[in-house]
Amino acid sequence: MAIIETVELRKVFRSVVRRPGLSGAFAALFSREFEEKAAVERVTFSVQEGEVVGYLGPNGAGKSTTIKMLTGILVPTSGSLQVAGIVPHERRIENGQNIGVVFGQRSQLYWDLPLRESFELLRAIYDVPADRFRQNLKHFSDILDLERFMGTPVRQLSLGERMRGDFAAALLHDPKIVYLDEPTIGLDVVAKEAIREFIGTMNRERGTTVILTTHDLADVERLTRRIILIDEGTVIYDGLLARLRDEYGTHRTIVATLSENYAEVAVPGTVLESREGNVVRLRYDHHELAAETVVRRVLDAYRITDISLLEPDIDAIVRRIYTEGYSARPARVPS
Amino acid sequence: MIADRAVRRFRFAPYLEFGKKAIAREATYRFDVFTSIGSFALRMYLLRMVWTALYARNAAPRDLPLHAILTYSAVALLMGLVLDVDQVSSLYTKLHDGSIVSDFLRPINVPLYFFADGTGEVLFHAALVVPSLAIALVLVHIDVPSPGTGAAFALSLVLGYFVGFTINFILNASAFWTLEIHAVQLIVTWLTDLLGGELVPLVLFPVALQHALFALPFAAMFSTPLLIYVGEIPPERYAAALGLQALWLAVLGAVCVVMWRAGSRRIVVQGG
Repeated sequence: MAIIETVELRKVFRSVVRRPGLSGAFAALFSREFEEKAAVERVTFSVQEGEVVGYLGPNGAGKSTTIKMLTGILVPTSGSLQVAGIVPHERRIENGQNIGVVFGQRSQLYWDLPLRESFELLRAIYDVPADRFRQNLKHFSDILDLERFMGTPVRQLSLGERMRGDFAAALLHDPKIVYLDEPTIGLDVVAKEAIREFIGTMNRERGTTVILTTHDLADVERLTRRIILIDEGTVIYDGLLARLRDEYGTHRTIVATLSENYAEVAVPGTVLESREGNVVRLRYDHHELAAETVVRRVLDAYRITDISLLEPDIDAIVRRIYTEGYSARPARVPS
Repeated sequence: MIADRAVRRFRFAPYLEFGKKAIAREATYRFDVFTSIGSFALRMYLLRMVWTALYARNAAPRDLPLHAILTYSAVALLMGLVLDVDQVSSLYTKLHDGSIVSDFLRPINVPLYFFADGTGEVLFHAALVVPSLAIALVLVHIDVPSPGTGAAFALSLVLGYFVGFTINFILNASAFWTLEIHAVQLIVTWLTDLLGGELVPLVLFPVALQHALFALPFAAMFSTPLLIYVGEIPPERYAAALGLQALWLAVLGAVCVVMWRAGSRRIVVQGG
């Protein structure tokens, strides 16, 4: 059964149109003109219990607005949604018990309190049984290495420490669903890795459903199989990350280091993408040619010291969809 | 807000914890503790000087002899330690920086959270009354009221605290609409100081002005409990005085409810 279900979800914001100049400001005191803008336009998707879904889109695409509706703090203009069997904004408090939220840009810990006391407060808020609380805290503190700064007031923590604290705080009450909004933003590699490890573990061990919005596609590659791409308030792709890679990543690149100084490099079926000294990059369509064939052609024609094969990175694919829009059969990479 | 109407088993524990954490939080600001006790001592000393000098040159007005007005000032300053605390300022801060959203994500009643947090903050400040009282007793003589008067004073003080809470709540909640509240706050502080009887007993003002001032909610915070304490409000008028405080509390409480509904609706509609 789907744990999250949205149908034709729509959210329109109304804002005052500001007319320019002093006279405009005066006129606004008496009559106001409003402008309506749909931040989310007909968003339909469902998420199964235990899934990890990457919810991606460029800035202003409607990601945060969707998340806010799912958490119950925004009322949709139209359409319907259900999270764990309830309509979030109608039963905000009950929904609050089912979810955990991490905003990368904003800590939800209590600023003046030591981390440990923040956790105790959360225990009271979510009514976590004492032994469960101890177990969770022990477990989280092992994975996230919290023990060192448990007694430090949150305002004195580094960003990486704070985020680890935020993750533990969001999962302390065993929520069914966690929403992660840009969870690794601004973190160093080590902290990012710790956080990704933690998300993965929670999903595997507890079956926690995870909705992840991020601009860091490494998060997505590491954690999710399924992604939902949203642009201008509309879902433009919902499916496997691998399929997207398959459809859009029609090319591979061979990087070869030549051992002799060849005047000209040309391999049938490939395009010379670049050449810097003895390092050449050759692109080919992997639906038309097998890697073996291409590599053999290179080896037959040239003497080389090194060779490697590159897959297109997801970053480039997503960028291309944002600019060109998604179609199931994308135009071929020009070759 | 709409979402809060869900029928659900109410748990007291989180709010108790909010209160406790607020006390712990306030205790971390040690400098604040020393400055508020220091400023109390200074103001007590100055008021003693002013009133003593004034009374030396003029006849005591009506039935407020020097010891009564010094008692009034001392008790007013002690009350100020508690009542002058803006215990809802975190609402303003959270509306301003948008972190109020985090509170709406938790399974709690949000206004009740602010009440619990604010009360914890105030309780910490109430503890400062003890050392301050010791300082006051060194500087001035404080009259002790009869048990009946003392009880009426205590009741009136509690009502005054709640009236103060609602005023602060309204001020801070206005940040739902205007993001700047400091100017209004300054005016209100000045009004409670001067027109609410914190600094000067309202019975010293011209009679016509007194009537107007007694009708304002600011008098319900300081003036009513204080005038009960020094005997300016006699026992036969206790019911009326407490009744007026209760009436203000009901009116301001209703304003809080309406503001909260409209304000939180703004958040859930516009997204903060």
